[in-house]
Amino acid sequence: MENKKKFYFDVKWLFIIAIVGFLLVFQVFPLVYLLIRAFFAEGSFSLDAFTRIYSTSMNWSCVLNTLITASLSMVFGVLIAFPLAFLVGRTNLYGRKLFRTLFLMTYMVPPYVGAMAWLRLLNPKVGTLNVFLESIFGLSEAPFDIYSIGGLVWVLTTFYYPYAFITLSRAMENMDPSLEEASRISGASPVKMLFTVTLPLMLPSIASSALLVFVAAASCYGIPSIIGAPAKIYTITTRIVDYVYVGSAEGLTDATVLAVFLMVLALVILFISNFVIGKRDYITISGKSVRPNTVDLGKWRIPLTILTGLFAVVVIVIPFASVFATSFTVNMGKSVFEEGNFTIKYWETIFSRNSIVKSAGNSLISSVWAASLGMIVCIIMAYLLKRTNVRGRSIPDFLITVGSGTPSVVIALSLIMTMSGRFGINIYNTIWIMVIAYMIKYMLMGMRSVVSALSRVSPSLEEAAQVSGAGWLRRLKDVVFPLIGPSVVAGWFLIFMPCFYELTMSNMLYSDKTKSLGVDLFLYQTYHSQQTAAALAGAILILVAVLNIVLSKLTKGKFSI
Amino acid sequence: MKKRIIAAFSALCIALAAAGCGKSDTAAQTGNPEVTGDTSVSGKVVIYTSMYEDIIDDMEKELEIQFPNLDIEFFQGGSGTIQSKIAAEMDSGMLGCDVLMVAEPSYSLELKEKGILEPYTFSGVDKLMFDYDPEGYWYPVRVCNMVLAYNPEKYSKDELPTSFKDFAENPEMKGYLSMSNPLTSGTAYSSVVGLYDKYGEEYFKSLNAQNVAIESGSVALTKLETGECKEIMVLEESVLKKRQEENSKLEVIYPDDGCIPIPSTIMIIDEEHSANKNVLAAKAVEKFFLSPEGQKLIVNGWMYSVRKDVSEYPYDAIPLVQLMENTIPVDWEKCYKQRDEIRTMFQNNVTIPG
Amino acid sequence: MSVITLDHVTKKFGDSVVVNDISDEFRDGEFITLLGPSGCGKTTMLRMIAGFEKPTSGEIRIDGKVVSSADTFVPPEKRELGMVFQSYAVWPHLNVFANVAYPLKIRKVPKAEIKEKVEKVLEAVHLSQYAKRMPSELSGGQQQRVALARALVAEPKVLLLDEPLSNLDAKLRERMRFEIKEIQARLGINVVYVTHDQGEAMTMSDRVFVINSGVLQQVGTPVEIYRKPENQFVADFVGKVNFLKGVSENGKIKLDGIDGTLDYSGEITGAVDVAVRPENIRISEENAHFRGKLLSEYFTGDTNDCRITAGGNELRMITDAATYKHFSDSETIGLYITDFIVFPASDSDFRKIMT
Repeated sequence: MENKKKFYFDVKWLFIIAIVGFLLVFQVFPLVYLLIRAFFAEGSFSLDAFTRIYSTSMNWSCVLNTLITASLSMVFGVLIAFPLAFLVGRTNLYGRKLFRTLFLMTYMVPPYVGAMAWLRLLNPKVGTLNVFLESIFGLSEAPFDIYSIGGLVWVLTTFYYPYAFITLSRAMENMDPSLEEASRISGASPVKMLFTVTLPLMLPSIASSALLVFVAAASCYGIPSIIGAPAKIYTITTRIVDYVYVGSAEGLTDATVLAVFLMVLALVILFISNFVIGKRDYITISGKSVRPNTVDLGKWRIPLTILTGLFAVVVIVIPFASVFATSFTVNMGKSVFEEGNFTIKYWETIFSRNSIVKSAGNSLISSVWAASLGMIVCIIMAYLLKRTNVRGRSIPDFLITVGSGTPSVVIALSLIMTMSGRFGINIYNTIWIMVIAYMIKYMLMGMRSVVSALSRVSPSLEEAAQVSGAGWLRRLKDVVFPLIGPSVVAGWFLIFMPCFYELTMSNMLYSDKTKSLGVDLFLYQTYHSQQTAAALAGAILILVAVLNIVLSKLTKGKFSI
Repeated sequence: MKKRIIAAFSALCIALAAAGCGKSDTAAQTGNPEVTGDTSVSGKVVIYTSMYEDIIDDMEKELEIQFPNLDIEFFQGGSGTIQSKIAAEMDSGMLGCDVLMVAEPSYSLELKEKGILEPYTFSGVDKLMFDYDPEGYWYPVRVCNMVLAYNPEKYSKDELPTSFKDFAENPEMKGYLSMSNPLTSGTAYSSVVGLYDKYGEEYFKSLNAQNVAIESGSVALTKLETGECKEIMVLEESVLKKRQEENSKLEVIYPDDGCIPIPSTIMIIDEEHSANKNVLAAKAVEKFFLSPEGQKLIVNGWMYSVRKDVSEYPYDAIPLVQLMENTIPVDWEKCYKQRDEIRTMFQNNVTIPG
Repeated sequence: MSVITLDHVTKKFGDSVVVNDISDEFRDGEFITLLGPSGCGKTTMLRMIAGFEKPTSGEIRIDGKVVSSADTFVPPEKRELGMVFQSYAVWPHLNVFANVAYPLKIRKVPKAEIKEKVEKVLEAVHLSQYAKRMPSELSGGQQQRVALARALVAEPKVLLLDEPLSNLDAKLRERMRFEIKEIQARLGINVVYVTHDQGEAMTMSDRVFVINSGVLQQVGTPVEIYRKPENQFVADFVGKVNFLKGVSENGKIKLDGIDGTLDYSGEITGAVDVAVRPENIRISEENAHFRGKLLSEYFTGDTNDCRITAGGNELRMITDAATYKHFSDSETIGLYITDFIVFPASDSDFRKIMT
């Protein structure tokens, strides 16, 4: 007993050290190696590559485009997500559960598949929606042009607002209603309350959701390559791919140097969002339990439900219908309803082809690993960040953010260079290199989810368990995890989903035995079968929706995304 | 609640297990073919290629018959993907493959200079219709053909340009054209070099005035189908594949000013840099691909053979000899040496907005 | 049951000293109250005993075993204490039974025994019928009792309470005081109780530790700290008090601005502060030490709470209810001081630190 006290070693340090070590080896080292390579291209330190890249006016226009589109998507994404999260999370809107699921749907479709759907709907010449609107209102020209900054922002926003929606609606549901009640009692109308109390209280969550949307939009390749390129709107990511596909060592250096901008940008945004959050973490599950309350919309209930429904139709139902219609269309030049133009052969293809079934299995395994390992890292790092005073506890958070801001293609290349045996680790051509690539790229979503959940749990709840005799792991299991559980599950899905259909990195890292669904999707997308790609995306969507329903039913609505 | 979590997890495990079963099924299906081919080579050979996946499936079956003791594995990807993968692998000192069937001769020139290739003496060089390396470091193995394409269900051929020149100059076409990005696609880049040599920089100024969309071939084909584009510059194989597999009505136009046939090469990685140190087997595989039998597999994949003595030509296409009557040549040395200049030239004229 | 020893315990957060060199011993079965204004360091002291904070220097021992020192630290979960948090910290995801059973589950107590013990303790806190409820379905007082039951269920040797009654209404607060005291007496455990409410400290404690700005001001029984405060702060913080300035000389104290003297047999001479509790002022014409003018009176039922001015000092007097409305406003009345406390004069204004 005496000895035990004397040499007491906190078990949590083992975990923390292990995870920090993991991040150092598998994330920091590859990216730092790539940077060093860029600086030491000719054997000695040189800034040549930097001056070359950043003195090209073309590259600055890409930087500008990236900043504009990502910022606008962030602003619109949050502007859309906030009221939706409030309506769905805190009011007596009709069909809240249905809406909740619907609003997350876009997250379950690969961005390039969605981008193709929007392209078919809103291209200025024959876009289905444009043609429809023209004929209805007798317009002489198409009302929308997808090939514009506006079009790019629109598609990016519809794709990435779910990030903000998920973060905000969780925070919304955990808010202490008495804070709002105090506002009402002081004479504020519900709207006034929303702006004077709810909104300021939500500021930390808004900042963190804005970070997610910005980083995702800025480092997205699929959408700008499909929507932006024809309009000659190039972004940093499309530019990086230009450099990478040169296929030479210099090309890689140039790509790295340009990627640095995105990494720094992600950090700046993280810094700003942390600065905004600062000490203002006031939404907490206190030790005193309160009844969750809902705001009665009164006479606004029906109009607001209709408005929300309209949004869902425009942003979710129409493009998804377009994806599904495509998957049944023989000739894309004609309507799917035309005689002889309907087929189920693309669906047969995806279920009958061995390679697809096999890839789906591989993807499932690697993304389950990535999401599970990723969440373990996230939970422990979030705990470190929020519950300890360790010096440098925010470093992992920064690392995870940088990883997310790094373009996929750069991550994949850095892993090939460092993880194929030259430095003693050889996981090239195994499933693990993909799992690690996925984790680096997508852990941020899980991290933010857990951090915001954890900051809402009062430390006294945990102390109560500690004084009851529970050790660190036990407290995590009995108190922390159940309270942040829904956020952990949501975070898990947020990592799992993009990994499941991930394309760019998988395409570089797969081997015969680890071929993933994204590789297949990429093949069909690029090798001229939009329809098969659409069918595959549709199948993924259905699978995830079913999984979500099953999970929700099994846990009686407690866990779902 | 605990039970529910366990239940949820079990569901997941079952799904995973099911996925695992799928895998074992496929293993069972690859039965034992008759042993007829070259049994002298064994071990493993990995091939990086940018050929279509469906062709590879067919090839794998054929190769299994040809080399019953050899385990041949393909890594399939776009040429840009593969080239950058190789660049990263070279940085780490070793490649993940033994044979390359990717990109154009200009890339082969680059790899030869890097000193990672293994020469092979091919006895049938007199049968080859295209450039090859006299020292045997690379040989052409398949031909992709850059052409124009249109959709007869939407627009009549009479209204459309029938030459690359008119493609860039016909004002009727403004805003209705698309081509692949030479910054990311090797075949597009080669075509740009060919057109640059033939028409000079002016050609690209005209292209820019046409407001041509720069995007991937698959997106362009979809736009052709929907009518968003009237005409596109595209690889013939992608149109032929669609015609054969999907009964697509899209049609190829062999430009009056000549097609741009772009041979793609086959190379062997030397012992030091290769993944499986199986140069002997790699040479046997190369030999097979260059043989008439191997070339037939290429033709089945909607690409042209490189051999004069192979009379087969792709589905719905024209014979190779006929094709070669009217072409725009590409200077591979120039492609390789002046890459940066030509890329910049293209960017300045076409890519940069304005 | 248990002895807690504090040995020169100091806690600093950065440069600010929150607890300054406190040493004492909480004896077996004692009910100790840490009393002081908010921010005085009493909660930090409690959290150091619990193990949530490490002392910057000094040593804490429980039953002679070092739990916190320069080179030893026993984390809270190994100290086997019970604690009730100010916010209750009732887990919202567990029902009442599960909340209370938690410490036993951690200790791997057999199921049947858990059930028995939880039921017993729930009965003690009058929550038997709520065992299956979720915390959000309970009132504040009920949640507080869940927290108390959870702290007691494992029969800890020491029970730590951090302002547990501050969120309750007056009536409930009064009742809980006696219930806690009764439970403590019945179980014979040590209690360390943190409060800023001197009423709670008075009624429950065996000994009260009065703390201000991290410095221990006085330790004593409720009677001692009330009757014999060691300094002006204690006199002021514990109970109600009037301070009068004066000069002590030859067994007499001359009060500033007041025509009259007090007999004083103590040793302090020179300038002094005289503390007079309101209930120690009586109305008496015959024995009046001095006279004052009645400003206002408040009837509280059992007393008459008056404000009086005398020679520029405003005094509070609490006297018999029967005197209410006996005098007219502004009437000058004779005042007799039954008891008072003398301190050497100090310049500081003690009222400023009151909360």
